[in-house]
Amino acid sequence: MPGDIVGQMLGQTGTDRAAEQALRGFFGLDRPLWRQFGDWVGATLTGDLGRSWYQGRAVWTMVWEAFLVTAEVAGATLALATLVGVPLGVVAGIVHGSRLDAAIQGFNLIGLSAPVFWLGLMLLVGASAVLDWSPPFAWSGPTEDLGDNLSILVLPVLSLALLQTAAYSQFVRGLMVEELGRDYIRAARAKGMTPFDIHFRHALANVMVPLVTFMGLVLIQILGGVVIIESLFSLPGLGRLILSGIQGRDYPVVQGALFFVVLIATTVNLVVDLLYGLLDPRLKP
Amino acid sequence: MTAFRLGLVLALIFAVLLLAPGLVAPQSPLALDPARALQAPSAAHWFGTDDVGRDVFARVVHGTRITLGLVTLSLLLALLVGGGLGVVAGFAGGWFDLALARLADMVQTFPPIIAGVMITGVLGPGATNLVLALSVIYLPSFFRIGRSAALAEAQLTYVEAARAAGFSEPAILLRQVLPNTLPVLVLNFVIIFPLALQIEAALGFLGLGVLPPMPDWGAILEQGKNFILVAWWMSLWPGLFVLASALAMMLLGHGLRARLGR
Amino acid sequence: MTEFDISRRAALSLALAGMALPASAQPAAGIDPLLYGPTDPNARRGGRITVGNLVEPPAMDPFRQAADARVRVSVLMYQGLFFEDQAGIARPLLAESATPAADGKSWTFRLRRGVKFHTGAPMTSADVKYSYDFMRNPANGSPGAGDLSSVASIEAPDDHTVVFHLAKPNSALPMTLTNKYGAVVPKGFLDDANSGPRMNEISVGTGPFKLKQFRPNSVIVMERFADYWQPGLPYLDEITFAAMPNSAAMVVGLQSRRIDLGVFSRPQDTQALANAPGVEVHRWPSLDQKSLDLDCNYAPIKDVRVRQALALAIDKKQVMDASIAGYGKVIGTMVAGMESAWGVPLDQLAFQHPDLEKARGLLRAAGHPDGLDIELTTIIGYDWMDAAAVTISEQLKRIGVRVSIRKLDLGVWVRNLRARDMGFTFNDWGTVPDPSLLFFRHFHSVPAGADFRNWNNARADALLDRGQETADPAQRRAIYAEFQKLLAEEVPTIMLFSADKLTANRTRLKNYVQHGTGWYFGLAKAWVEG
Repeated sequence: MPGDIVGQMLGQTGTDRAAEQALRGFFGLDRPLWRQFGDWVGATLTGDLGRSWYQGRAVWTMVWEAFLVTAEVAGATLALATLVGVPLGVVAGIVHGSRLDAAIQGFNLIGLSAPVFWLGLMLLVGASAVLDWSPPFAWSGPTEDLGDNLSILVLPVLSLALLQTAAYSQFVRGLMVEELGRDYIRAARAKGMTPFDIHFRHALANVMVPLVTFMGLVLIQILGGVVIIESLFSLPGLGRLILSGIQGRDYPVVQGALFFVVLIATTVNLVVDLLYGLLDPRLKP
Repeated sequence: MTAFRLGLVLALIFAVLLLAPGLVAPQSPLALDPARALQAPSAAHWFGTDDVGRDVFARVVHGTRITLGLVTLSLLLALLVGGGLGVVAGFAGGWFDLALARLADMVQTFPPIIAGVMITGVLGPGATNLVLALSVIYLPSFFRIGRSAALAEAQLTYVEAARAAGFSEPAILLRQVLPNTLPVLVLNFVIIFPLALQIEAALGFLGLGVLPPMPDWGAILEQGKNFILVAWWMSLWPGLFVLASALAMMLLGHGLRARLGR
Repeated sequence: MTEFDISRRAALSLALAGMALPASAQPAAGIDPLLYGPTDPNARRGGRITVGNLVEPPAMDPFRQAADARVRVSVLMYQGLFFEDQAGIARPLLAESATPAADGKSWTFRLRRGVKFHTGAPMTSADVKYSYDFMRNPANGSPGAGDLSSVASIEAPDDHTVVFHLAKPNSALPMTLTNKYGAVVPKGFLDDANSGPRMNEISVGTGPFKLKQFRPNSVIVMERFADYWQPGLPYLDEITFAAMPNSAAMVVGLQSRRIDLGVFSRPQDTQALANAPGVEVHRWPSLDQKSLDLDCNYAPIKDVRVRQALALAIDKKQVMDASIAGYGKVIGTMVAGMESAWGVPLDQLAFQHPDLEKARGLLRAAGHPDGLDIELTTIIGYDWMDAAAVTISEQLKRIGVRVSIRKLDLGVWVRNLRARDMGFTFNDWGTVPDPSLLFFRHFHSVPAGADFRNWNNARADALLDRGQETADPAQRRAIYAEFQKLLAEEVPTIMLFSADKLTANRTRLKNYVQHGTGWYFGLAKAWVEG
């Protein structure tokens, strides 16, 4: 592995071995690698993620603070993507084969293909050129200054949401098309049910179950996308924490943050499984 | 099927760029000429020049080989190793299957980009580590597909028949099951491709991908972002190329899926 | 903008320096008006600003955190005994005067009265002794310990006097007791094992601003320290340093009035602001240097004649134009910011101008009639090095030197440097404005110096020792002039150029003067209009 924290701290300041040794001992880097890792696992099992080598703060606190930022971005993105993506997909599914459907599908494909960070960059420049506006770069949380907080979130959420909106819309469209082609819908139509009842009472209701599973997937996707978007817009979330931790070789922070990400992902999967059981009548005991 | 055709045409264009970038862009993607730095697109430099006077068109075109080439290589690796293990595990079952399935679960717990940042960040940037990261990330996906396809195959009557006819298990696996699972693995390759491409570009953008001065699309974007207000052309084209190639693979994927009836 | 903004002020401060030198001998009366830069008579109190920060400090501890990004901001909260005036003068800051003993082996510093820590406690000599004792003990892991190795003991005879006893004379001592590493903090504060992390929550210095909030990867907020000792200072009520993702975002932020001030790492990045309304762009001379280092143990360049040939084949101006679009100053053996005070004119230095015939002759004499192969190292993430490497390999090709470029991760590069195995490499480093602090550690042989380039030159050692021990400014200047001529002659390094510091600010922010180190000293005297 290239370099460690001591090298980065001392830089070109000299080759004083005493200072170097003192720092290595301080960080526990003088111990063999397997012991460093073993100690970490042991501590983590007791709920202690250790302290940041640079800031000396408890990793739990840092990870939690960062998580709140990430959660806000991810939550807003999920909400926006769901609110726009699901209706788009439903509409496309109902009118499938039409021009409108083709247009929505075109939008989906572009949305799924555009790199998130590139989109963010274009939005930042575009907002500056067209509106003479930029987000305030100094982060403030929703409880500190809600106006600033929302201004900061607009561009990152928009750039993340496009991809997820497209994904949603594409997915829901597929489900709708499939569902509307089923026998029971044809039967309902033959019986003279209104299109509203057909589309929303029956088709949409059956689409709900896979939609919940998909929402879990989207959430995990967003969690990944946030890493890039956070460093593009300087948001102090989990992604930035991991990235700056890796760059500064602050391993307790990196390990702690990754541990937390895995925890979230596992929880999301678990919740999805539970909901699946609750929503799908066939799986009820 | 017009969408499929559009995808096919786009994919062919990118294949040409990947195999013979020099034919399309004879200029060097690496040659610096500070005297012509940051020039806007013109007849001489279709996509303009970058901050050290390199031809952006040449960089983007030659970047095809780096970006798409590395993604292809990574996914081929994932397909061979992951798909192969999956087929064997699905066919053989037992503790081998169980252990590998749990391992795949573990790897898949990480959102792909986070796994990518972690692997390339810790091992350091560079083409080798990038390929390693991408193939590790997508191995489980191929493993699962291969496994479930093999499971399904194993229950078909022809396998029973082959067994009854006295074929050895490896022979059945190699001659019967493997060829029948290949189409789904290839389909998965095409479906995963645009996702892996996004990760590759993102890692390049974070400075964790291919080392400069190699003209990787993500790396060009990373370099271009600082100049985006004076030289938009440095950032526009590589982004569009990522978009277009991802689009091509997605259209191909849709078409193939429809044809394979899945 | 062909001339530096600072030229007039620099001339002024140099004139004043002439009167004040030797700074050491005369106790300065009152408070030096040039501390932290020039004062604006129109300045008014009040206002908040946001400063865009491209590199974020990982932590705030001035004792144990070496990152330049930390020094940039912490100089506003923590103070040493002196201020490192760009012109090469150590102006008394927390000290009031400095008097060396006749034999140069001890310095007596009278301390300023009425100085308070951010904690509210008054500063006394015990705090000063405590702080510098902590720093110079290598076991405490301060990167500044090496600079204080000549200090044998520190004594505090009364509340307002400290005496530094030295193992050997060191006329650069005042410049060493400035603001890069360490600071004066309340006695006992550092005894707590948790003191480093504590400094991310509160500041315990004596500086004009105190820490209000530090949120890593995001913002640093500092507020005016009401009990600050310089009357009327500082003017600003609050400064928010916002972490900026990249320079394009900084430009956008300045245009849209979100950011009041930005210091750019690459001069070219300000091009987009040239015609932006309400934004001023300034160029300042720098104390940093971009250089080529030559490890004198690295096989291809072990022979001094080969090193000289390389120097003769390099056209520094061309390299500078290629790598930073010309936004800088070609240098000989002295960084641009110290050129007028300590430099030797380029035409008096050997091997400064390209002479290919002579270079080829030197290579032949060194036994390389057909040229040679060499590996040139660049560091990943330092963009200027890429263009410079290509330009230099083209230039060296003309004398038959075939260059292959090797790119290293910063971590690996630092490890090689510290192992004194740097090869033929680019480097990018800065200094505090004193020739001893610039040269000693880098070029004195071990163990006194670090001698990263394995130069191991006895004459250089003698000159560096004498330069450190001599108090008389004129004599010192002569010694360092001789040293620089030797440096040019022997070529353990080729200093290429100093890239200008470029700042951009909203016009409402007044009197921000950028220090050549790139640190934010100027904010102590900046103010906002309206």
